[in-house]
Amino acid sequence: MNPHERLMAFLEGRKEDADRLPVWCSTRTFTLDGMKIFDAYWPKAHKDPETMARLAAGVYELTGNENMSVPFDMTLEAEALGAPCEYFEGKIKWISVKRFIATDIYEMDIPEDPSEFAKRGRIPVCIEAIRILKKKYGGKVPVTGIVTCPLTSVGGYLIDPAEFHKYMIKEPERIHRIYETLNPYYAAVANAFKEAGADVIVFTEEGASLDNISPKHFDQFVKPHLTELIGMVKPPRVLHICGSLISRGLEVITSMIDCGAEAITIEERTPMSEARKIADEHRAGYVIGGNVDPYNVIHNSSIDAIRSRVKKVVADGVDMVSPGCDYWIETSTEHIREFVNAAIEYGTPPRWKKEED
Amino acid sequence: MSRKEEIFERLRQAVILGETEECAKAAQDAIDAGIAPMKVIKEGLSKAMEVVGDKFENKEYFLPEMLLSAEAMYAGLELLLPLLKTERAERKEKIVLGVVEGDIHDIGKNIVKAMLTAAGYEVVDLGVDVPASEFIEKASEEEIGVIAMSTMMTPTLVSIKDVEEKLAKKGLKGKVKTIIGGGTVTEQWRSKLGSDAYGKDAVEAVDKVKTLVEEIKEAVKLMERKRKKRGSQAGECR
Repeated sequence: MNPHERLMAFLEGRKEDADRLPVWCSTRTFTLDGMKIFDAYWPKAHKDPETMARLAAGVYELTGNENMSVPFDMTLEAEALGAPCEYFEGKIKWISVKRFIATDIYEMDIPEDPSEFAKRGRIPVCIEAIRILKKKYGGKVPVTGIVTCPLTSVGGYLIDPAEFHKYMIKEPERIHRIYETLNPYYAAVANAFKEAGADVIVFTEEGASLDNISPKHFDQFVKPHLTELIGMVKPPRVLHICGSLISRGLEVITSMIDCGAEAITIEERTPMSEARKIADEHRAGYVIGGNVDPYNVIHNSSIDAIRSRVKKVVADGVDMVSPGCDYWIETSTEHIREFVNAAIEYGTPPRWKKEED
Repeated sequence: MSRKEEIFERLRQAVILGETEECAKAAQDAIDAGIAPMKVIKEGLSKAMEVVGDKFENKEYFLPEMLLSAEAMYAGLELLLPLLKTERAERKEKIVLGVVEGDIHDIGKNIVKAMLTAAGYEVVDLGVDVPASEFIEKASEEEIGVIAMSTMMTPTLVSIKDVEEKLAKKGLKGKVKTIIGGGTVTEQWRSKLGSDAYGKDAVEAVDKVKTLVEEIKEAVKLMERKRKKRGSQAGECR
């Protein structure tokens, strides 16, 4: 089985066919080593499709990590709606927004036709990069398109989050209006990625964890609108949320599953064993990815510590081994390779095949 | 309940429930009733923010609830602070607060500011996207200066390192103390970046700032003692 066939088996509801667990990065794939070796530095790699494709594939080429994904930042959609972005020419820094331009949907620059939206900003760069990757790696290594969902995108880069969060209580209709208006546009981005050849769309909604909002607000705002957004895009789809998803007797894992994606991926602040248990009670065998700490473990720990962490995550019931978020940019190729190798070792055969024996 | 206690209770409820107008009204009533502003802040606003902090820790409150409470508290503070000027000028410690260069997310910073102000600290708010040199310049002007830096995202953590390196270069480590916090900041990051303290949330940040202020005071005392000692030794030589 190649990495594409393996990941697809998990995302198409037939994980029992797989020879082992996949090891991929459910969010963005780039490292400093990749930038150096493939001459694919930021900010050029954000703006030029060839360079973007080289950087995205770099992690696979160097380490065997079993996917490649674009874009590398979370401002793609917000920028296309008018957020002014800083690219830090000459430096290797994440794109950031210079200021918040809106307080409501009316102050955003929204085209009439959602399909026009995919022609804006850097979205065409990502589409072209996906085409390039598909041509070279199609059917062998999965290509991932990342969409940053409205709550995070708008409430993090277009509207000042300090105000945005207050609307949840003071003016809930404003949050509904934002999601309802923007969903077709964000879906258009996802569908354009799919048409270009993306094998899977990962929807990230980083702002929706229990570190920020209550389960009540998750169910009031996030769940219904993400269900709608995810429903507008063809499978396979993955929903990723950073931060705590289980805390002090509260959880949003079941609500995340209800959003309708084929899998969810989580990070290290959510314990895998607990997530597995909650998921199995809600929908037995539901596919979960995660959640090895990319900074403290993969980047900053010994090879032994990386290996034992991977072993534990596998024992705790993960389906798709992944760092909790993007690999930390400075992480050495060696550390990611060891992480990948450990996942292959401990993920072979998958636990359901062991149980059969 | 006495009239005073009644107003304090109104203030506390207004902050806890995030009712901005009611908080301003209650603060005005307190002023009109002639209650000392410091007492109004301590008994009303600060106590309420402690409750709000506890609720946040216990996951009864989340960001939206916390932000509304902070907004209500500020509506009261705005009326009370001008009346406090003389009393506050006596405090030597200042907390120089801001979001580091490259980041404009000030949601956490503003909550920390609310909690620090409620705890009686004078906060110099530098806003967002603050260059390292500005933090250092402002903090080193103060007799007792604490730099409190916030960032929501991992990428901008490097900006904290910049501040720490510049402090070290200028020989200000120890005299100026630093505390960091925000979305992706952790204790591991703190030790890597070389900051003096990490607050996992606004409640912990206030406690840690208290400790840092005490440490600076101790260090200042020690330096003065050494200076005096050196002075007397020099005298003996002559």
